[in-house]
Amino acid sequence: MTALRRASSRFAPQREHPGGGTPAAHPAGNPVGGVPKGTAELGARAAVGLALGVPLILLLIWWLGRSDGVQLIRARVAESGGWGPDALTAQVGEPLKLRLTSEDVVHGFAIGHNRQPGIELPPGEPVDAVLIFERPGRYVFYCTRWCGPNHWRMRGTIEVTGDGPSAEAAPIPAYVALGIDLDAPHPAAVLPSRRPSVDRGAALGIDLPTRYRSRDATLGLGPSDLWQALRDDPATRDLADSQVWDLTAWAMRSVVSGESLAEGERLYAENCAACHGRDGAGEAAAQREPAHAAAEGETHAVEPVDFTDASKMLGASPALLQGKILRGGMGSGMPYWGPIFTEDQLWALASYLWTFQFEGWL
Amino acid sequence: MAKPILLLSAVLVAIGLTPISFGTASPSSRHVHVRARSYEYTPATIDVQRGDRVTIELESTDAVHGLRIDGYDLELRSSPGQPAQLTFLADRPGVFRVRCSVTCGPLHPFMIGRLRVAPEADLWRAGVLAVVATILGVGLGSRRNSRPGQRPMATAP
Amino acid sequence: MNRVNLLRWPTVRAIVRSRWPQLSLQLLALAGLGMLIVIGLVGTPVGNRNLAIAAIWIAWWAVLMLLAVPFLGRGWCSICPLPLPGEWLQRGAILRPPAVRDEQAAGPRGRYRNGALGLGLPWPKRLRNLWLQNVVFLALALASLSVLTQPRTTAWVLMVLAVSAVAVSLLFERRSFCRYLCPVGGVIGLYSQASPVEVRVIDQALCTRHTEKTCFTGNSEGYGCPWQVFPAALRTNVSCGTCLECLRTCPYDNVAVNIRPFGDDLLRAERPSLDQSFKSLLLLGSVVVYAAVMLGPWGALKSAAANVGASEWFAYAAGFLLVTVIATPGLFWMAASLGRAAAHLRARPLEVVRAFTPALIPLGMAAWASFSLSFLLTNLSYLWPSLSDPLSAGWNLLGTASLAWGPYVSGISPWLQVAILLVGVAWAAAHVRRIADRLGGGLRLAIPVLAFNLIPAVGLLWIFVG
Repeated sequence: MTALRRASSRFAPQREHPGGGTPAAHPAGNPVGGVPKGTAELGARAAVGLALGVPLILLLIWWLGRSDGVQLIRARVAESGGWGPDALTAQVGEPLKLRLTSEDVVHGFAIGHNRQPGIELPPGEPVDAVLIFERPGRYVFYCTRWCGPNHWRMRGTIEVTGDGPSAEAAPIPAYVALGIDLDAPHPAAVLPSRRPSVDRGAALGIDLPTRYRSRDATLGLGPSDLWQALRDDPATRDLADSQVWDLTAWAMRSVVSGESLAEGERLYAENCAACHGRDGAGEAAAQREPAHAAAEGETHAVEPVDFTDASKMLGASPALLQGKILRGGMGSGMPYWGPIFTEDQLWALASYLWTFQFEGWL
Repeated sequence: MAKPILLLSAVLVAIGLTPISFGTASPSSRHVHVRARSYEYTPATIDVQRGDRVTIELESTDAVHGLRIDGYDLELRSSPGQPAQLTFLADRPGVFRVRCSVTCGPLHPFMIGRLRVAPEADLWRAGVLAVVATILGVGLGSRRNSRPGQRPMATAP
Repeated sequence: MNRVNLLRWPTVRAIVRSRWPQLSLQLLALAGLGMLIVIGLVGTPVGNRNLAIAAIWIAWWAVLMLLAVPFLGRGWCSICPLPLPGEWLQRGAILRPPAVRDEQAAGPRGRYRNGALGLGLPWPKRLRNLWLQNVVFLALALASLSVLTQPRTTAWVLMVLAVSAVAVSLLFERRSFCRYLCPVGGVIGLYSQASPVEVRVIDQALCTRHTEKTCFTGNSEGYGCPWQVFPAALRTNVSCGTCLECLRTCPYDNVAVNIRPFGDDLLRAERPSLDQSFKSLLLLGSVVVYAAVMLGPWGALKSAAANVGASEWFAYAAGFLLVTVIATPGLFWMAASLGRAAAHLRARPLEVVRAFTPALIPLGMAAWASFSLSFLLTNLSYLWPSLSDPLSAGWNLLGTASLAWGPYVSGISPWLQVAILLVGVAWAAAHVRRIADRLGGGLRLAIPVLAFNLIPAVGLLWIFVG
């Protein structure tokens, strides 16, 4: 320790000369030998200890608060890691307590195949949620607020084990049952000269045979195929081609419910419009800046499809559209929505898309 | 020396603070499409005329953004794919900062744009006032020199 | 008589001379520093909801730039927690010095130790200036957008500063860190010249006769000046940290805490040293760049400035350094040279430049104050949620955890900023005129420099209200 006390100050004090030039000074508060370790100093040291201890106590409080049976989940944009953790486990019937915090932008939390609205996660604000599962199985949770080009990749799983009726097996997708190749091109064989109108089709007052008014029977029929079938039907003998198109539109509309379309509209706005555009033309905000997208590593061979393109859309059957939404993966960054949307929601979305082709669809 | 300076300053200040009422086009309805991306607005400046009924359509492109106008205290927010609209009467002239009101990343507090309601001359006025300040300062500075030299005076406790 | 010694009132004298009031504030600051470091490390990484960011860069910085520096000079330095742990280790005590039992055994430090622990090396002579602080300030400024918005970064910066302060205290004598390294201290010191508070001796003749100079060497009441200045020689506030030790060690009560006219030091700063002159220019350039980056509409610029280490950041850093280190001093040089030529002065250009830099102090301080006011009024509402949930654990201590953000007085705040800036412009103009007259150049000498002053002023005005 002596080595540390080696003094090297350049300013040595002057020795006091007896009777020298130093004028009379006020008596110093204390003679030589002050009060080094008196109570005052000890008190001060205690106060310093307290001041330094407060942050440590804070740290301790934080540490203890982390382990109170709540699962902490942080939400970040996919490029920064997405959900952390993204694989949870739970038991049937036991509450799963979550504390979700967004660490960058506004995110949302929801469970797939579940009609409950998502929880919005404002950045920095922890949000508590309690989930109770009635059936074992694998659940998918996902982000419900568009947070970046890879927003749809923000997904995680919850494995629920325990006793209970297992979830129903997912039905075989319609496109599989019908043997439709999702990736094959589907150009429309015939194109209308003007946008078909549902209202004009309804006004024609034609009584359509039941096979055209059954949802299941028309799942595999694209508009141009349906048009051809209607064209060949003797009931439309006196109609012009464009009128048959109107009839086609009306026929397709009559197998879809208004509520379903309303849900499809909502789902489209929340989940699809960011890439496909509110007007369906595929030139949407999130895709509009290729330089920006390329910088983020998001270069795709294929751009989001243009729903206003009649040659593609009118050759697509409802089952094809539903299948593409379900499966995704067309090389364009299209997510697979199967784990997220219920069957009804997928059909609602697929049905909604015709609004970009037919007037009066909604 | 002081009087002309004060007179000049008064005149300039008067100029600086006079409200502008000429050069106004007749008010109209305006629809402005503003795109929000971290961390800027496009267009960075929204130009309107005083008295216009302005509809701002905010379209976010990468995350949820908001838009809040200083001085007007109006706010809207938009999620990508879901643009939002707000209509208001631009009755106050001037230049107002437009700020993002939804945390959109680390630099969120610096996401700033402008709403310019013409006719306005805020910058001109401020510039004129800066020149006035300079002139006043120069006047004061020369007065200071005319006092005898400064030396800190001792003050006993 | 243009000075009032606050110590003439016995209550003030008692409060200032006693160590406990100052120590209490210091301990609060120390506890605050520690807590904010913890919060910065473990709290949410969302800057505007982390108390470390809100309390330091919104609250503390605004109080510093708007109140502490303009009105209390180096007041913050007197309670700053950064040097304290190192200083206490150095001294071996918190309060008054422990004396050596055996007088004869006292070392060259004297009877009353100024150093218990540490090597006590003298600070290198070549570095006894502001240049190192200039470099540290620039380094921090280049990373500022990241520091200001990332709680972890702020916490690390504070830890590095705190550890450096301790390390420097254990290697070098006294408060070498404060005087020669602290980036904030450099700014505060320079701008404290504009404040109305000072610590000066009352009767210099008395100091001359006092052979012991206990204000510098220390005695049983206190330590020798930690800032390594000789109080009787103080002409400006730049190097005095208002730590108040000299009040305690002077046996003649010859040290006063004066209220004096604003900016009185500037009258005495006839030819500041090159490091101080350069710093005035550096700070002026910096505030303009800060305003452009943070308050302007250019998103790409902000992203570049925040992405420390990326290629676009290097471009930004180059631009920043160009403006602050080259363009601002260069333009000032040209203005001063133009004035010098117009007034046919015989003084050398560099001397004219240095003579005029004190005028930049009020301008720079007003610029920083107006910039900080914008930051404060716009973002103060972030403080309330952060206070309610400091550890980002879902608490709601004050009930404001979900309070929405909103700027305060947003209609008039730009004009408040303009007003503050213009006070600085006028004040600086007064000094330019005074300096020009002193140099014998009159208005011809003053006008180019006045024109220079208008450049950053108008630039800032454009950002505020343009």
